[in-house]
Amino acid sequence: MQRFEFLGRFARNRGALVGAGLILVVALMAILAPVFFPTDPLRIVGLPELWPGEDSEFPLGTDSLGRDILAMIVHGARATLLIGLFASAVATIIGVGVGAIAGYFGGWVDEIAMRAAELFQTIPNLIFVLTIVVILGSTLSNIVIAIGIVSWTPIARMTRAEFLALRDREFVQACRSMGMSDFRIILTEILPNALPPVIVLSSLVVAGAILFESAVSFLGLGDPNVASWGRLVGDGRQLIRSSWYICAIPGIAIMITVLCLNLVGDGLNDALNPKLRDR
Amino acid sequence: MTINVSRRVFGAGVLAVGVAGASRGAFAQGTPRRGGTLVATWGGGEPQACYVPAGGGSSPTFSSSKLFERLAKRNMDGSFEGVLAESWKPSADFKSYTVKVRKGVKFHDGKDMTVDDVVYSVSEIWKKYAVASALTDFAGIESPDADTVVFKYNNPTPEFFFASTLCSPVAYIVPKHVYAGSDPVTNPANNAPIATGPWKFKEWVRGSHFEYVKNENYWKKDEPYLDRLIIRYVRDPAGRAAAMEAGDIHIGVFNPVAPPDIKRLTGTGKFVATPKGYEEAVWSTTLECNMRNPIFAKREVRQAIFNAINRDFIAKTVYYGYARPGTSPIYSPNKEFFTADTFKTPFDPKKAAALLDAAGFPKKADGKRFTLNLLSAGWFPENGKVGAYVKQVLEDVGIGINLTVPDRPTSIKRIYTDYDFDLAISNQANPSEPVPSTTQYFTTDGILKGVPFRNASGYSNPDVDKLVDRIKVETDPAKRKALVVDFQKVITQEAPLLPLVELESITLASTKVQNHSNDPNFLAASWGDLWLAS
Repeated sequence: MQRFEFLGRFARNRGALVGAGLILVVALMAILAPVFFPTDPLRIVGLPELWPGEDSEFPLGTDSLGRDILAMIVHGARATLLIGLFASAVATIIGVGVGAIAGYFGGWVDEIAMRAAELFQTIPNLIFVLTIVVILGSTLSNIVIAIGIVSWTPIARMTRAEFLALRDREFVQACRSMGMSDFRIILTEILPNALPPVIVLSSLVVAGAILFESAVSFLGLGDPNVASWGRLVGDGRQLIRSSWYICAIPGIAIMITVLCLNLVGDGLNDALNPKLRDR
Repeated sequence: MTINVSRRVFGAGVLAVGVAGASRGAFAQGTPRRGGTLVATWGGGEPQACYVPAGGGSSPTFSSSKLFERLAKRNMDGSFEGVLAESWKPSADFKSYTVKVRKGVKFHDGKDMTVDDVVYSVSEIWKKYAVASALTDFAGIESPDADTVVFKYNNPTPEFFFASTLCSPVAYIVPKHVYAGSDPVTNPANNAPIATGPWKFKEWVRGSHFEYVKNENYWKKDEPYLDRLIIRYVRDPAGRAAAMEAGDIHIGVFNPVAPPDIKRLTGTGKFVATPKGYEEAVWSTTLECNMRNPIFAKREVRQAIFNAINRDFIAKTVYYGYARPGTSPIYSPNKEFFTADTFKTPFDPKKAAALLDAAGFPKKADGKRFTLNLLSAGWFPENGKVGAYVKQVLEDVGIGINLTVPDRPTSIKRIYTDYDFDLAISNQANPSEPVPSTTQYFTTDGILKGVPFRNASGYSNPDVDKLVDRIKVETDPAKRKALVVDFQKVITQEAPLLPLVELESITLASTKVQNHSNDPNFLAASWGDLWLAS
């Protein structure tokens, strides 16, 4: 019953519905990529710089080396979504952990945790990501870690604020007086109540992570063994005056995906905070 | 006017490279027009300092060569011409060279250039920094009188080698009164040089440009024709193309714009593109095997790697035809030493597979023979594309490849300091004289941990070392050439490092710019003779 209510509220936001639908398509594309294009998408298969439609074998054309852009877009969806989801997971785990501890315990623990968060916030995000990738080496997992490390601070601050608001409520005090351990109170009592806004924020981190990955790949620091949308944009940059479609096609893919993720985030916000919407 | 006494011509052939699609011509018409400001750029970034005593790569060579001068230069027809030297002559045993130094040359601060400056430059700058690896046999320099210096060597030194050393980029004559008693590497004058050239340093706006002004007291009475020379740095090739199109930049050397833009800009009729002016600095994209990996112990394995690669595809697709397949460690524009008669590793995947099978690396159950780390140096975007291609073709013959394309500092560290690669794609630029630029990639004494652009493969072969030692001291040009031909045959068969393609560097200039691309290393020429048509 409650679940249907949630879906109903989510569906009331038309944009969110469209966004969720398109994300589903991208996800299916990612899952079914090896079915449609069983060979390595980075293989050189045709003449270089074929325009979309010029050769029916390559509906979206080929890049400067003669690689099939459609195959790279479809396989790139995998890398893009994987990076988005995992980076968001890393950021959420770090952010919720730090924020919960800081908000619940307060005092010097809070001071240290928040000063650390501020330290991370003062470093420009993209430069920090690039630095970590350059030092650790440009593999997919390192890029995920790097994006996670720069994206956790807003989640930590949000979680901390929720915890500050909830930790002195009656139900928490009741738990405390019953002798429940701090760990259990955090995990089973406060966290479920603090989670809705965090989920919304995490969904936005997915979108942010995709943009970070695209920027890293665009600058040529992505994993060269993996097809990714950002890298395709970066490779096509040199040819923007003559073969602009090489940049444009993956650019549109990135734009649509990130827009959809933001719409889904809005929908989640409506669904999880119904009072906020009606106000 | 200039007097050019020394002209022992080695190889009379014209050094120009034949290229498809590039326009040719004299790039000069009528009498020079005086005055005006020329804005130039190049296909790279801003240098670390205006002048780097140890060379520091093409960027500081480009910025410093307009200010400083060398003792000699090479001409397009292959002849040598004195610049700050008037002539040079070997002794009968070829163990010393007497050089007449030009008189009446003043530094930009008004002080006379004397033999003391030459002695100081050679013994303190050349020997220690600029051309140290070419002066291993150097025994000292003396000045018997006020216009003569004598270079002394421990062993016989070929004339071509000696003249090439005088012509080396950054083998400059620096002012002793500015540099003596200081550490030349950190001397503040490196960022505001005082020298003898046609251009005087005015200012360096970091992140933007150098401004040089006409040297009114230049020893060549007519030069420079222009009043001002600006070297501007634009980070992005597309940005350079836009600036040239807008008329903000007149000339760009060393591939200033992306290949598709070359055609677009020359098509307007307002620009010319030429591959001339790089004959003494021919670039290549190379592939090297790390001999520290036991997989490469047999040379058949190394040959198989090259057999698996279609160099013609790389030249045509990655470089849009502005490259040609490499066949020898000495490049084809080198009229003195190049030979086509080398061991060939043509594109033949079947042969590559057969060689690998025979070498004891059959395909295993997973379809792979072994897996290698391929490092593509990220300083040129094309290297990453070559890496992607090489990965594909090697995987086709059953070699698993992990490709990485690190940025410039990481690439230099991993290839030349940590030796952290199995296969590396890098680049080199070589003059005609093979010693030491070319040979140090293959000799044991070229294995210098931490020194970039040396023998990183770790290839060490006493026969090659002996051969190079003979090339160093052979003073008969014909015999010397025969030795260099042997060297090319051995290296192409051994295949520790071979060029995949020789690159065609392109200069793009407005049709207004006259007298450009008239030096076999135009990027490092003084540019005193350039002028702008109205």
